[in-house]
Amino acid sequence: MKNFLLTSILTVLLMALTACGGQTSADGGEVFEYGAQKNTDPKIMGQIVKLLVEDQTDHEVNITEDIPASPQVMSAIDQEDFDFATLYSGEVYNNHFDEDQVDYTTDPEKTLKQAQELFGAKYDMKWYDSIGFSNQYSIAIKQSFADEHGIETMTDLGSVADQVTIATDNSWIERENDGYQGYQEAYGYEFADARGMDVALMYKAIENGDVEAVTAYTVDPQIIEYDLTILEDDEKFFPPYDASLVARNEILDEFPEVAEILDSIVGLVSTEEMTELIRLVDMEEQSTEEVAREFLLEKGMLE
Amino acid sequence: MELLTDYIDFWQDKYESILTYMWEHLVISFVVMLLSIVITIPLAIYMTKMKSERIKGMIFNIANVFQTIPTVALLAIMIPLMGIGFKPAVAALFLYALLPLLRNTYTGIQSIDPSIVEAAKGMGFSSFGRLMKVELPAALPYVMSGIRVTTVYIISWTTLAALIGAGGLGDLILAGIGYNDKQMIFTGTLLAIVIAMLLDLLFQTFEKKYSKA
Repeated sequence: MKNFLLTSILTVLLMALTACGGQTSADGGEVFEYGAQKNTDPKIMGQIVKLLVEDQTDHEVNITEDIPASPQVMSAIDQEDFDFATLYSGEVYNNHFDEDQVDYTTDPEKTLKQAQELFGAKYDMKWYDSIGFSNQYSIAIKQSFADEHGIETMTDLGSVADQVTIATDNSWIERENDGYQGYQEAYGYEFADARGMDVALMYKAIENGDVEAVTAYTVDPQIIEYDLTILEDDEKFFPPYDASLVARNEILDEFPEVAEILDSIVGLVSTEEMTELIRLVDMEEQSTEEVAREFLLEKGMLE
Repeated sequence: MELLTDYIDFWQDKYESILTYMWEHLVISFVVMLLSIVITIPLAIYMTKMKSERIKGMIFNIANVFQTIPTVALLAIMIPLMGIGFKPAVAALFLYALLPLLRNTYTGIQSIDPSIVEAAKGMGFSSFGRLMKVELPAALPYVMSGIRVTTVYIISWTTLAALIGAGGLGDLILAGIGYNDKQMIFTGTLLAIVIAMLLDLLFQTFEKKYSKA
């Protein structure tokens, strides 16, 4: 009896171990790993990749969600824990490289090119061209506040900045190039107060009237939901965060059929389309899988 | 070695904002601590005198429920009621601190040997006198350990204040996560640990001094 127990425990343990390491799909293909950050757009992209790969090949894709932020996703790619992910071109200015390696610019093409070259070499991965949407910092205020004071651009906001409290995510205040310090230098004014907080709560705060402005990301559906307006960045201060898929070179070399699928996703989703997809997930509580499937059906990429 | 000089540079660069974060952190934790001691400990003492098991069970259940509400959800509920910043952060952390402090203090006073209380009764102490002269001194070690445990919790939970715009070391940690700055994450974590350990040490000395007297 004792022996039986021991063997069964060992067998279960062994099975658990092989399940982690062996990675064979139901159809005898590979199981790839996709890592998604906390925001909704990389999660939807993960489902798109998964649906297409599982539809067109024998492979499977396993998605891990809610990694805190892009740097952690990259370390996981470096550890070969993830094979695919969605990353943003502006991440290249995010403290990864020495100042003499990167040339800070808010030009989208140059930024993407630097991200492709520098990250591609650092993590031995391919950084695809943009998926088509951009999830970058911007400043949003209530439409009613904008109308009342005639504000359209970030420069305009300066005229009332002394009555504006801005809610931001926790890192904006500390960021060097595109953070609050840089913003003050570019636009020449500071806000009455700047408070770092959780992104979801940031929108609650502006809805509730506790703050007048937020650092919104361009694909956030709350912008539509709470009737906010994104101010024009007339000094071209905020760098572009164009979303791209990335994949480890090793995987692409070994499985060209997967590389082909990832190629087909370049230029697939526009910023407006992604905002709508995120709205369906965050506000209408549809699952990311459902939303991704509907989208691909509409585009004729799934049957 | 380069790591160390880099880190010293980091401090020279940022010490002003680091000190602000630390100050915010200390103020929030102390206010939460004070509030929860002032409210919870009398409540716990009162509960040990309470006859009705039902009401006691209810109070513990309420404290339990607060403990299980996910942080972001609790903070989101706070915004329409109290806005952002210091006030809702303190309120939320107070609700989280309720259970450990209440339970530790209550169990502590409960565990006093009943014969001591009986002896005090026999000596003619009034119930208030008994509480002050006999029960509380005997329960002090338990009450103190409750406060000690809860303080350490609160110092670490106060990092959550950064989610609702109240600042504190959590701001530094979350900024470091978002901005890919390991020095910020390290510093925020390290300072929170150091504060928790120093306070624990302080309470320990206090406790030793008083249990001897």
